[in-house]
Amino acid sequence: MKKSKVREKSLVMPTRMYWFAVPALILFVVFWVYPVFQMFYYSITNFNGVNYDYDFVGVRNFQSIVKDGSLVNGIKNTFIYTIIIVVISNVVGLALALLLNLKLKGKSIFRTLVYLPALFSPIVVGFIWSYVYMPGSGMLSSIIELFGMDGTKLNLLGDFGKALYAITAVDIWKNVGTTMIIYLAGLQTIDDSLLEAGKIDGCNEWKLITKVKLPLISATITINVVLNVIAGLKAFDYSFIMTNGGPGKSTQTLMYIIFNTAFNKQMMGKASALSVVSFIIIIAITILMLRFMNKREVEF
Amino acid sequence: MKKKLLATLLAATTLVAATTGCGSNTGDTSKTGGTSSDEDITITMMVSGVASENDFETEQLPELIHEKFPNVTLEVTKLPDDQYYTALKTKLASGECPDIILVQPKYAGSNSVIELAKAGYLMDLSDLSCLEKTGDAANEAFSYDGKVYGIAQGVSILGTYYNKNVFEENGLSVPTTWDEFLNCCEVLKNAGIQPIVMGDKDAYVMQFGLYQIAANEIYPNDATYDDKLRTGETKFTDEGTWDKVLEMYGELYEKGYVIDSSLGLGAAQGIQMFVDGEAAMTFDGSFNAAALCEEGAVSFERGYFPLPATNGDTYASMAPGAGPAVYAETKYPDQVKEILEYWFDGESPVYQAYADTGRFIVTYGYGADKNDPLFDSFLDLYNEGKAWYWCNQAWPAGTENEMEALFGSMIGGQGTTVDDITSGMQTMLESLLEE
Repeated sequence: MKKSKVREKSLVMPTRMYWFAVPALILFVVFWVYPVFQMFYYSITNFNGVNYDYDFVGVRNFQSIVKDGSLVNGIKNTFIYTIIIVVISNVVGLALALLLNLKLKGKSIFRTLVYLPALFSPIVVGFIWSYVYMPGSGMLSSIIELFGMDGTKLNLLGDFGKALYAITAVDIWKNVGTTMIIYLAGLQTIDDSLLEAGKIDGCNEWKLITKVKLPLISATITINVVLNVIAGLKAFDYSFIMTNGGPGKSTQTLMYIIFNTAFNKQMMGKASALSVVSFIIIIAITILMLRFMNKREVEF
Repeated sequence: MKKKLLATLLAATTLVAATTGCGSNTGDTSKTGGTSSDEDITITMMVSGVASENDFETEQLPELIHEKFPNVTLEVTKLPDDQYYTALKTKLASGECPDIILVQPKYAGSNSVIELAKAGYLMDLSDLSCLEKTGDAANEAFSYDGKVYGIAQGVSILGTYYNKNVFEENGLSVPTTWDEFLNCCEVLKNAGIQPIVMGDKDAYVMQFGLYQIAANEIYPNDATYDDKLRTGETKFTDEGTWDKVLEMYGELYEKGYVIDSSLGLGAAQGIQMFVDGEAAMTFDGSFNAAALCEEGAVSFERGYFPLPATNGDTYASMAPGAGPAVYAETKYPDQVKEILEYWFDGESPVYQAYADTGRFIVTYGYGADKNDPLFDSFLDLYNEGKAWYWCNQAWPAGTENEMEALFGSMIGGQGTTVDDITSGMQTMLESLLEE
């Protein structure tokens, strides 16, 4: 009796206020939780996406994605994609942020320019870049022809060994601006007095970066790395727009294979099995990374 | 995080499926009355596509049918492809299917004529007299177990576009055998002209050449090759079938007749290079004729020929377009047949309106002379019965993707052999059929 009285008195969160969370919760359950569980369920059926007259096939979907090599190929390509994105995006993004944090003339113009590609849709970017890469008459080919080399030989998207790196480069070009902006925001939170103290103690510019600035923006580094890892593991756009997973299967990422299996081959069951596996992989990676990175963050 | 996207998509699809299933049932409820031909009746029809202004199916057709048969009201529903498939499944399952539905030839799509006929949903149309006009190739593609279940609406062609001026300058004429074709390529190459350009980065364009060769080298020897793939009597790995086709097509790459950088070129870029006169030929379909005939960096006359057979007995690769079929349980079988006879007789106002839409390459009657002259040689072959449907129309969807990916590996120098491709196609086929 006494307890409930206390609760009713709470001005911050009276009991009945919990009811206001119900609509959101219902939406969340219907459109997120339920479909996710459905995916687990479909992964053991041969559902084709249309006909509800399906059979249970046990682990056959999982066996077949291993046997036909699509899982291994997808994981390999996705990991390469992710590692490149995380490393290059962060290094370049941080470098640009440090540079554009200096007292330069017209630095807001430079900041805008770096961020500009992030404003376009991936479809537009992918389409434009397939002309940049076009062998023979594309932009890159034309440039190397200026130097007297044979432009028709530069066939990045058609080369099994290079196509994946070529589309990764486009992703970096588009998204490095976002990474930079976040770093820039991080750098601006650093108190000038700390930098002055550093200088007085005899730090040169390099030491100031490595010993003062970087430790202080470790939380920003965490968020950028995590965002880039997620973006890399989700990679789909440029495989789909620029190469269609080709040449051969050399740019098929996990997400591309899932899409292709579900909507071209009409094998929703197999696609669900792939989704389940990538779900587990992504969750595992994210947890490991957050634990590792959180330990290294510095508070002040 | 990804699954979130997929799951949401799945949920959305299910939702759309559920709502369309219920939402479009209304068309049937007005079906009343007996079957006597002077009584007012309503015949329902459902097709896929997006209605345009003064749409043929939803506006002109009902009007013209009503003029001819005053007692008949034709109610037409047109749904976007995905919704159409789901609505059709639901209606068939609930026994409320419209009288006339749109079906695709062979096994293509989820409204394929064979799957529906096999399930007993379609009425036998073999005795319609208009089928004599639509041609054997079309009827063959709409047959199951020796009976015809649908009527093709026009055709789509796969062929070889070529630069007539370049051919003339080099003393070449349209090749009539495969060896002559190889010779054409050799002559052009020696003259410093790139013989063929393909935008293989969009791997589907590989089908444009491969299916032309298959039409010459596989089906004339065994018309039921694809049907037998499903029963296991034939296999992609059988000697003298796909190994031969892939080898012939691969030779064009090996000898440098197809541009070296094809894997890095998109389909649109390939077309652009042909239009700009940078290559003498390209394999493409009638559906891209407008883009291929656009004015480029140089102007030249275009021609279009089917890839010739090794023995000179050339067949064309032409897909009959999706067309109407009749629901087996329709209340008005005779009236529906009358309507279809009238529609496809080659001269009625309905047929004229249909031909005038410009959406179909009509093969007979009114409008057949208005087709682009590029297609003439193909239509002649077609009307002689020397044409085959597109291979993937008879395969489970996804088989061709495997073929393209593996063929890409072969021409990309990944050590993939023709045998690897055929066995990969066979494995994919078997796993798709298992589902």
